[in-house]
Amino acid sequence: MASGRKHKRLVAWLAQERVFRLIPFIMVEGLFIALMAIPFLLTIYISLLRWRANRPFEQAVFSGLLNFEAVIYDGEFWASLGRTFVFAGVAVSIELLLGFCLAMLLAKEFAGRRLYITIFLSPMMVVPVVVGYNFSMIYVDSGPLSQILAPFLEPFGINPRIRWLSDPTAAQVAIVLADVWQWTSLTFLIFLSGFSALPPELTRAAQVMGASRWQIFRRVQLPLLKPVIIIAVVIRGMEALKLFDQSVLLTFGGPGTATQTIAFYLWRQVWQFNKFSFGAAASILLLLLFAVVIYVGIYLLVRERATLRHEGSG
Amino acid sequence: MAASPRSSKAPFRRRHQVFWHVRHALLVLWALFALFPTFWMVSTSFKDAGEWITWPPHWLPQEATLLNYKQIFAFGELETGLSRSATDHAFNIWKALGDSLLVCTLSSLAALLLGTFLAYGISRFGVGGKNFRYAVLTLRMVPPIVIAIPILMYYAILIPHTTELLFGTRISLYDTYLGLGMLYTVTTLPFVIWMMLSFIDEVPYTLEHAARLMGAGRLYTLRRIVLPLVASGMVVTFLFIFILNWSEFLLALTLTQPGVSTLPVLLNKFQSAVEGRLYGPQAAIGTVITLPVLILGILIQKHLIKGFSFGMIRK
Repeated sequence: MASGRKHKRLVAWLAQERVFRLIPFIMVEGLFIALMAIPFLLTIYISLLRWRANRPFEQAVFSGLLNFEAVIYDGEFWASLGRTFVFAGVAVSIELLLGFCLAMLLAKEFAGRRLYITIFLSPMMVVPVVVGYNFSMIYVDSGPLSQILAPFLEPFGINPRIRWLSDPTAAQVAIVLADVWQWTSLTFLIFLSGFSALPPELTRAAQVMGASRWQIFRRVQLPLLKPVIIIAVVIRGMEALKLFDQSVLLTFGGPGTATQTIAFYLWRQVWQFNKFSFGAAASILLLLLFAVVIYVGIYLLVRERATLRHEGSG
Repeated sequence: MAASPRSSKAPFRRRHQVFWHVRHALLVLWALFALFPTFWMVSTSFKDAGEWITWPPHWLPQEATLLNYKQIFAFGELETGLSRSATDHAFNIWKALGDSLLVCTLSSLAALLLGTFLAYGISRFGVGGKNFRYAVLTLRMVPPIVIAIPILMYYAILIPHTTELLFGTRISLYDTYLGLGMLYTVTTLPFVIWMMLSFIDEVPYTLEHAARLMGAGRLYTLRRIVLPLVASGMVVTFLFIFILNWSEFLLALTLTQPGVSTLPVLLNKFQSAVEGRLYGPQAAIGTVITLPVLILGILIQKHLIKGFSFGMIRK
């Protein structure tokens, strides 16, 4: 009896608007603070120490900004960062182009369209680690890639059993290709929904007024698709900069450092070489650098979302 | 006069047909490219050791065998003929499967519950201010390695030290289900909030308003009116973040060793084996990891766009 009344009072208290609003907010914020803010403050503290994991934490000495200096003067850090941006740039532009073309080919309804869509979307659902493994199988010296290229190589006296991943350039191409294979499906999906949201009246009006196909595409469809394109660029670009899984599975950063992305570089510094305070300093610097990129990305997303909304309602 | 429309239409039809063929040729080409790596993996998983790498490679196993699957799923001592050789320890697929299922299911559920209620608050009351939804998005854009390094130090240093001070025992979250699960919850929360926002925004507020006017309490309205309407959306969201957690590699690799091991980490252990990579069992593990995700993914195909584009694009 008493517990029932208590229960009722609890429900009534929970249903109050201010409580109701605050509980999920506080819980989520609490989780964010506990798992993001506090660790980050700790990282700032550790980045100011001189400490490697082979010594106890308590004996670490304060060293000021020495770690940051070490990171800034470390050529490999900048090289990995640049490499990551190049990989992301190349991969994302290929993905956008291919995704756009594929979506254009499938924009209109025809028999078999659904099957094509299902097949085209399937790479997105394959676990990235498995993609890395799959491509490593394809690139094996006696794998299918060598076999397919054999008729073109053998006439010139080249042994087709090439160790693709031992060549820096080929390894870099492999990484980009694996990324393109997996994520063209996403840009395709985004563009496909963009095409299906195009109002048919405008195209028809342009047709009636005697516009050619190219003119319709260039002057009517492309401007309408601009927000979708920008959203695809930002979302894919942000993800591409995180490239890590394939770098580990496919090439392990090698040969040499040819496919070492920034995430892989940091992982190596901390988990292989145990350079904790160096890694902490590097991750803070990286976060600061990324803050600019993220800010630009979010700004673009918010702006384009507003225009999409506006067109949708108007 | 009568001939002119026909003569202008005939080339048009021919052009149309050419275009039809070109279109299908391109589409089939891409479909083959999209299917090939997965096909090759499945094919390899049925090959016997001698066929893994031969020249020229066999596209289909000449003698299909289940040996690879038997090998990875075998319990305890192996029968003769099933050798595990160098990478004996790496074969613990049952544990990895269980770990993956446990961590992914629980953390996805937690994220779903928290995220749905927060999304409701954001949608109806503007909790956290106008830009809160974008602030949440920022979190998702931070590269995971930048999260992993602080979390490692937090789990392995700060929390043990604090618990030692407070309770006298060292409790480390490094390499525990709780540690990894909480992190998965936090990293997938942005997706949940964004996807659920787009579902909840579609529920007309007038419905709730009517129920409130008729005297229904806030919790009652939420349970009886809003939740049934967004239930399918919650299922889709759950499956989506489950797939994300299932595929997650970096955090699992860096924050759990060797106690908790998820399937992607298990697959990676094989990859780094120096002597004689076991292509066949690896392909079998890859197939086992991919299959459930592929099925779930095809089920929620229509809604994937909502997750991946943060609800920026509606379909």
